[in-house]
Amino acid sequence: MRLFSGQRAWLVQRVSALLILLLLLVGGVLLLFGPALDHARWHALATGVHVAPLIVLFFAALSAHAWVGMRDIVLDYIQPRALRLAVLSAIAVVLFAVMVRVLLTLAAHFATSL
Amino acid sequence: MKLSIYRFNPETGEPPRMQDYDVAPAAGDKKLLDLLMRLRTADDSLSFRRSCREGICGSDAMNINGRNGLACLTALEGLKEPVVLRPLPGFPVIRDLIVDMTQFFAHYHSIKPWLIAEEPPPERERVQTPDERERLNGLYECILCACCSAFCPSYWWNPDKFIGPAGLLQAYRFIADSRDVATAERLDFLDDVYRLYRCRTIMNCTEVCPKGLSPSHAIERIRIALLKRSS
Ligand code: SF4
Ligand code: SF4
Ligand code: FES
Repeated sequence: MRLFSGQRAWLVQRVSALLILLLLLVGGVLLLFGPALDHARWHALATGVHVAPLIVLFFAALSAHAWVGMRDIVLDYIQPRALRLAVLSAIAVVLFAVMVRVLLTLAAHFATSL
Repeated sequence: MKLSIYRFNPETGEPPRMQDYDVAPAAGDKKLLDLLMRLRTADDSLSFRRSCREGICGSDAMNINGRNGLACLTALEGLKEPVVLRPLPGFPVIRDLIVDMTQFFAHYHSIKPWLIAEEPPPERERVQTPDERERLNGLYECILCACCSAFCPSYWWNPDKFIGPAGLLQAYRFIADSRDVATAERLDFLDDVYRLYRCRTIMNCTEVCPKGLSPSHAIERIRIALLKRSS
């Protein structure tokens, strides 16, 4: 793959958008049906063996989608190289931190319940 | 009829200004260009380009009441007054309504706007089936007036790196041509975050093209061609 291929980013953007949409629909259906939405229900849902991987997938898709979108905005509006690099790194750090947080939270839960 | 026209003369060193005019159309004046020509007989310092006066040469593109168009194809009837005329947005102004098209044409040349065929030309012509010829409809008619590129926000932000709708429409015109053998190299050249993928499918280009062409559709076809190639 070429470094500045535009196609990969474009594909990532579209595929992640589809994934996000699909997972939101699945989540919506899960939440709509079943017992009342209290803390116990949220907790049970989020830590279910089937739902937890979907949550990771959702945040991965969300991060990828946000990365391409934000990068595009930066490429359009921020021309000075140093500033561009700084803003891009800041975005990457935030998205990475979100991902790590999601993984850590779920990992902590599964570690204690084992 | 009242007009408000952008005036700029680099020789005076004065900043650009809007100048008001009031001119009565004569009996035969149907299009905006007719009125501009009439205006120029009164004020010969007013500068704009024009040649064919029938939508073929693409030289009288300008921003008319906030929308890019060809003065020669814009009917006087129904134009909101005062008619505000500005040079094509995003392009460097040379004088009044005349803009510098150097970069625009550099992008056009970068996509190699000619047929690349290795075999020596046959005695008569390189033949196409009617279907193959059909694919060029909606592509070859472009008159390079730049109304589309000058109405594209992506082109405003990155005019030096993004090829813009006009250049990309022409790029696809040669990708779609059954006689052209350089499709792979053309696609290689276009697969770039800036050249092609700055397009955000805002579709201003298609909306504004005075020839009714659809650069955004051509851009979509290029993306699909790239996708097909890599899968
Ligand atoms: S695509 Fe339409 S608006 Fe763009 S340069 Fe060609 S004729 Fe003009
Ligand atoms: S569809 Fe693409 S090329 Fe056309 S105006 Fe929008 S961003 Fe520009
Ligand atoms: S004068 Fe030629 S296109 Fe208008």
